[in-house]
Amino acid sequence: MCVLVDAIEEEHYTESKARREDDDWQQTSSIHPMAGVKRNRAEMESKEQEDSPSPYLPMFEHFKSEIDTHHDRRERVIKASRDITAYSKKIIFALQRTKEIGKPLTDRKALTDMTKLKQQIKETFEGVTDDLQGINAHRYQRQISPGIQEFMEAALFEHYLVNQAIMTHSEAATTIPAGITLTYEDYVLGIFDMTGELMKIAITYMATNGKLPGLQGGASVLTDMQTMRTQLELINAGHGPFAKEFEGKLRVTRQSVEKVEISVYSMTVRGKEMPKGWKPDINMRQPVEEIESY
Amino acid sequence: MTTNGAPYAGQSLIDTSIFTTLQSKIDEESTVRDELKEIVDKLSKQGRTTQSILSRIHNVPSQSVGTEVLDPCMKALEEQRNSVSSLAEAASKFPFYKYNFVWQREIQNVVSSFQLWHWLSSGKLKSIEEVGEYFRGEFAILFAPTVPVNVKDADTFHITIEDYLLALCSTIEELARLATNSVTLGDHARPLQISKFIKDVYAGFQLLNLKNDALRKRSDGIKYSIRNVEGVVYDLSLRGLVPKDEDTMKME
Repeated sequence: MCVLVDAIEEEHYTESKARREDDDWQQTSSIHPMAGVKRNRAEMESKEQEDSPSPYLPMFEHFKSEIDTHHDRRERVIKASRDITAYSKKIIFALQRTKEIGKPLTDRKALTDMTKLKQQIKETFEGVTDDLQGINAHRYQRQISPGIQEFMEAALFEHYLVNQAIMTHSEAATTIPAGITLTYEDYVLGIFDMTGELMKIAITYMATNGKLPGLQGGASVLTDMQTMRTQLELINAGHGPFAKEFEGKLRVTRQSVEKVEISVYSMTVRGKEMPKGWKPDINMRQPVEEIESY
Repeated sequence: MTTNGAPYAGQSLIDTSIFTTLQSKIDEESTVRDELKEIVDKLSKQGRTTQSILSRIHNVPSQSVGTEVLDPCMKALEEQRNSVSSLAEAASKFPFYKYNFVWQREIQNVVSSFQLWHWLSSGKLKSIEEVGEYFRGEFAILFAPTVPVNVKDADTFHITIEDYLLALCSTIEELARLATNSVTLGDHARPLQISKFIKDVYAGFQLLNLKNDALRKRSDGIKYSIRNVEGVVYDLSLRGLVPKDEDTMKME
């Protein structure tokens, strides 16, 4: 019964659609609408269609299966990329609880969480490794790239927290399962994102400890961030889609560095008078709030 | 603890060679892109010549199309074919999908011109394999014995299904325009021929499951081409101007 109703409705729909198209047709046609027009046209059409089915259908059948495979693969990669992004964000969140920079991580809870998350990331990557082989490595680069970038951010951040150094590209490539390409683009964009995390941890640390983290013979998180900023500003990203992304991220990195600079300033000038636990006022000079929206 | 001197002055321990390596990688890729771009620019320039020749179909009577359009166009296409060969040779050294955005558009243009040229010569559609056959040039014979279309395994230069289909959409738009103009030039058989062809091709497009991408947008446009051509056919049939089969044969 239900099926019947559906069928009738569908028929009605196609009919009314056809009528609508006929109306359109009459409006655009230079001929005045007259009796018999519709029938003539309908006859003409049905005759043509009966005469000859399109000879190109087999060719398009072949394209159809190719295109379907492509879309399926593309969607699998997008899904994996999203999952990896989510897991990586959780790792970064756990890393933000780190108390000291330049020392092995000690927070047991964070370490257990991270081991689990890394395993999930590894499995997710492995699930799409077959889809990213050979010619497809770059074909779906744009789809997998966000996940890789976020994971790079997490891996670089962890490496920095433990070693107070930037992981090189070849070191970074080993953190990703074999068969997945780490492009230089994703690596450097990961470095940019990491500076945002450094800014957050530096400010939290200053608020609780009253000094900059990572002090090593005059070097600190701030001098490291300033060095990264200078080095990144030196890079000529050329032109093209990557250059555009590079510029955008560089802007955010500049703001992150300045945010820490202002906090340190305010800490050195006024922090001494304040009780422990006082948070430096980071918004004193510049409209830095917009950073959060990135 | 932060009272004396400048406690936060010091040298960062960050290894800056990381950034030097990065710069050299970026430069390497720019060099490749520039090298490919140079060939593509040449192809694009030649493409404009080809298209300007082809656009004469809109004001040259059908009987003279062969000598006035198709012959010179073939020569222009052959030049483009040489550029495609050089491009294929240069591009095959690198991952195909890393740089294909550099040439995609021009490849689609030249495939579309070729498709139009071929249709005007024969009234038939060239399959993707036949298109590849035409463009493979000497390069492909040397390096890849198979026709470089829709390559799935080897990472070499090729014409993709998307390129082929997008090119076909352009060809159809051009033919829809020709349907109107051929009537102006006194050829009443051509619109029927075009109408049949476009409908056959569109029937094929309707089989495809397309996502919301460029191909979807372009192929949706075929509907309007069909409607325009049908309008022409209708105008002709209403006035009894559609040639009978014998007339069509005589004209050809």
